[in-house]
Formats: sequence, structure tokens, C-alpha cells
Amino acid sequence: MLLVILVAQIVGLAVQVRRTDAGRVTLDPQDGPGVRLIRLWADALVTPPERLMHSSKLGFGSLWQDYLDLRHVRQQNQDLEKTIDRLRLEQAELLEDAHQGQRLQALMGFQEKYIYKTLAAQAIGSSGSDQSRVFYLDKGAADGLERDMAVITADGIVGKVRDVFPHTAQVLAINDQTSGAGVILETTRIRGILRGNAAGQPQIVGIMADQRIQPGEKVLTAGGDQIFPRGLPVGVVEKVVRDPDRDSFIDVIVKPAAHLDRLDEVLVITSALPRFSPEQQQDMATSDALKGAEAATIKEQQKASELMAERLPGLTDPNAPPAPAAQPGATPPAPGQEQAAPATPPAPKLMHTQHPDRFSPGTAPEALPEATDEVKPKPRQGAKSPQNKEGLAPGVTSKQTAKPRRTP
Amino acid sequence: MSVLGADFRRDLEIRRYPLLVYALVPLAALVLQAWLPRVLGRYAWFDLPLVITVYFALGRRSPIQGTIMGAAMGLFEDALSNHAIGVNGIAKTVVGFLAASVGVRIDVENHTIRLILNFLLSLLSSAIFVFIYRILLGLDLEWSWITELLKAVGNSIIALVLFPLLDRLQIRD
Repeated sequence: MLLVILVAQIVGLAVQVRRTDAGRVTLDPQDGPGVRLIRLWADALVTPPERLMHSSKLGFGSLWQDYLDLRHVRQQNQDLEKTIDRLRLEQAELLEDAHQGQRLQALMGFQEKYIYKTLAAQAIGSSGSDQSRVFYLDKGAADGLERDMAVITADGIVGKVRDVFPHTAQVLAINDQTSGAGVILETTRIRGILRGNAAGQPQIVGIMADQRIQPGEKVLTAGGDQIFPRGLPVGVVEKVVRDPDRDSFIDVIVKPAAHLDRLDEVLVITSALPRFSPEQQQDMATSDALKGAEAATIKEQQKASELMAERLPGLTDPNAPPAPAAQPGATPPAPGQEQAAPATPPAPKLMHTQHPDRFSPGTAPEALPEATDEVKPKPRQGAKSPQNKEGLAPGVTSKQTAKPRRTP
Repeated sequence: MSVLGADFRRDLEIRRYPLLVYALVPLAALVLQAWLPRVLGRYAWFDLPLVITVYFALGRRSPIQGTIMGAAMGLFEDALSNHAIGVNGIAKTVVGFLAASVGVRIDVENHTIRLILNFLLSLLSSAIFVFIYRILLGLDLEWSWITELLKAVGNSIIALVLFPLLDRLQIRD
């Protein structure tokens, strides 16, 4: 009997696992029909009493919280009274700001901050196992829940919907070892994957050691996992530890923003598409139309400027060195490089000088007579270099110093 | 510890319970196991289905019934988790069988024996779970023996309190 039951369960296990292309063994993320049926039965058996206990408010939890777990309550009460006194002072200061904010809010017509469609649900039970960080919601397929929907609280993300039953749903928390969420560190902008460890703490795995990561840095969702919208709070960095398997990698332990151990009410993001009011949609349509017209105008301007550039002559620099003769075997320029490569200016065509002197190009310098006191100029300290009659440098004519001329 | 003949003990002390107890007590254990961790958070160091499996296996002294009870409880636990169905099932099947086999041979009324039995069987269940998950299936699983040790201690303490209460539910001639 023992062997029969054991063999049957081992065969059942073998059906549920599969080998990936990389050779790793993994569980099927999507349960088969038989497995799903068993889960459905277990859910149908266990969740009604759980729901009853949750709604009756007479369970062990309320008994524990209201009557037994009252440690440090007196000290907390004193601290709270001090806090109240401080907050009263701050309240007076903030009152005026609040009024101003209300006026601005009315001015902007900004009614809803959160643009995703959500559904509130109660957490009614868990898996009961340390190795399986899942919990159950009191909403299911009948309420519009589907697999892989993000589950959040006002504090931060909680997990994703793993399985959906008619009136309940199973949520895989972010501190489970099989979970995975794309996250980003707010300051250092380092991305990683968040998953749970054996102690039930979420940790970012697979990132290189980086001294910039410090405890206290905020962790946000990166938005690349197609489940959690970008920018939702995940938690703060608690500590950084070395990856035991890989030397150059670290694990960043994250203190979750949401209280994963004591969840009560959560929100399920039922639609990742932004939810806009009709006025906002109209504004966006107007904006899109304006952007389209603007883009068309810019395109026309670019086309006109290209046409103008083709028709106008190019600029040449007369002082540039002459272009080397094209080699017979030279590689022709690529088609895309024709316009980008600077055109070599042609050699300047010098005009004939009407009154050539010894500084004019093409005229051989006359041999100077033997230096005599009459004709030999004495160079002076700080004197200007010899110039021609137009005040130009030797060897340069007025034509050459003129502005570069356009060549067709 | 008094060790007696197996047939003698079985004939002498087979316990019988109302049918409702067989149905409701395991169900209550499963529901509480799923619900209490929400209240106690990470301090939920116990495994009520395991305790109930051990109790009925010891009380009935039938390895077959202990095996079936363990398999049923383990499969339900698996069904409520995101694990493959059968991991806890196999672990608790073995535990149920062993508890019933031991119960035939020793005096299970003794509190110390109950305490030690629950502690050892809890550790055995954890070891089988890890063996199946990491060796048999080859899946990745981080493990904390401290937690399993605490869970074994928690199970023992709960058994110490719960077993006398459940003893009151048996049918007496």
C-alpha cells in the first residue's frame, strides 16, 4: 500500500516538471488540467471556512491583537501623545498650504491621481508553508481577475496573481523564491530582478558588486516585466551581501514597503492601460493632432532646405592646399559619404597683377645689391614685418586675402 | 519506554473516533494552517497537518490508515501552495506510515515519547521534502535548517497540548 501511494505520487511529480532547452529542470508555470483540478478542490474546501473566519472578526487574530499582544502599549501611548502635540503645530502651518493646494487642484481639474484601474480585495488565507509564499484573495475570475495581474497596496507592490479560481485567487508574493519582478534602484539606476530568499526576504539578485548601493536607497519597479507598472515603490535597501555562488555579484536585501506578513486589504491592477477621464482623452487627442500638424510642417521645412542646398553653390577656401590627383585605383566614396565628406576646394586661380613687385607671386626676387648703408634697412625691435603697398603680408595679394569666392 | 508485542498492543489500544472527527479535525488543521500564518506572520513555526497525521497514525495503529491520512493531508497542503503536488504528499505519507508502525510497538500515551516522536518525525518530513525538491526533482530551493528545527519544536509543543484534547473525542466502550 505504501509503495503504491508513493509510486503514484512520484509519477504525478514527474508529470508536473519539465526540462528546459538549457537543460534545467523547472516546474510548469501553467498547471495542467489534473493539477488544476486538485488545486480547485483544495481551494473549494479550505477557503469557505477561511472566509468565514476572516469576516466574523472573532478569530484568533483579533483576539491576539486586541487582548493579548499589548506589549509596549503604554510607552507607545506616550509617544503618540507627543507626536500629536507636534503634529498640531505642524497642522497649523500646513493648513494654509492645504488651502492653496485645494485652489490649485480645482484650477487644474485634477481629480484622480492613480491612472490604472484597480480592484480592492481581501487576503483571506495563505499556503501555510514557509517554502511557499502565496496567499489567497476573496475575489476571483467572477470579479474580473486574471493570471499575472499585479497586486499592490498603498505602500508598495505585493505580488502577482498566480492562479484564478471562480471566487478566489492565489497570489504569489514578491518574497517567494519562484517570484520575479523587474526593479530599479532609485538613485543609482541599477536594474535587477527581485525574488525571495529562504528567510522570506525579497532580494535583488544577479547584479554586479557596486559600492554606490547603500542601505536606505529606494527600490522601484522597473516596468520591464509586463506585470508591474513602472515606478511603484518596492521597498528600501536593507543590506548588501555577497552572492554565495558568484564572487563578483551581490544580493541586495530589500525591506519591502508593503507589510507582506500581515496583509489585509490589497489592490489588484485589473487593467495596465492608463485610465483617463473623457476630458483628458480629449486633451490628448488635441495634443496628438497638434503634434501631427507640427511634424508635417517640420518635414516640409526640411524638404525645402534640402532643395535649397542642392541649388546653392558650395563654399571654397582659397587658402586650402590643392587637392591631390585622384589615384587610378582609389576607392570611390560610399554613397552615403558623398555629401558628408568635405569637398576639396580647387586651386585658386590668381588674377594677373597690374603692377607686380618683388612680392607678387610669379616674379623672381631681384638680387639685392651688396648691403650699403643707404639701402640696407635696419630691422627694428617690434617693427612690423615688411608689407606691400596694400599693407599685406609678403607673398599675398589683395585678391588672395579677399573673402573666399563661391565656385559653381 | 515499555516495548510490547505488536499484536498485543494493536488489539488492546486501537482508538476509534466518530466519523465527524475524522472529517473535521483534518479540515480544521488545514484551514488553521492556511489562516494562522496571516496572523502570526513569520512566527508560524508549526505544521498542524503533520501533527494531526501523527496523532491519528499513532492512535489507529494501522500503517495503511496512517499512510492514507498522511498522503491526503500532504496533497492538500501541496494543492494550497505553488509547489508541485506530491512533494508534501510523499513526505507525510512516509511520516504517517512510520508513526503507525512505531505506534504498534511502543507506548504512545507517554508525553515524552509523544514529544520526541513529533520532533523526529517533523525533521524527517522536512528532510524528505528537501530531498524530493532538490535531489529527485532537481529544482532550486534555498533552505534554512534553523526554521525547520523551530518548526519541529513547535510541532512537539502543539502535540503536547493537542493530543490530550483530541483523546477526549475518542469513542470509549
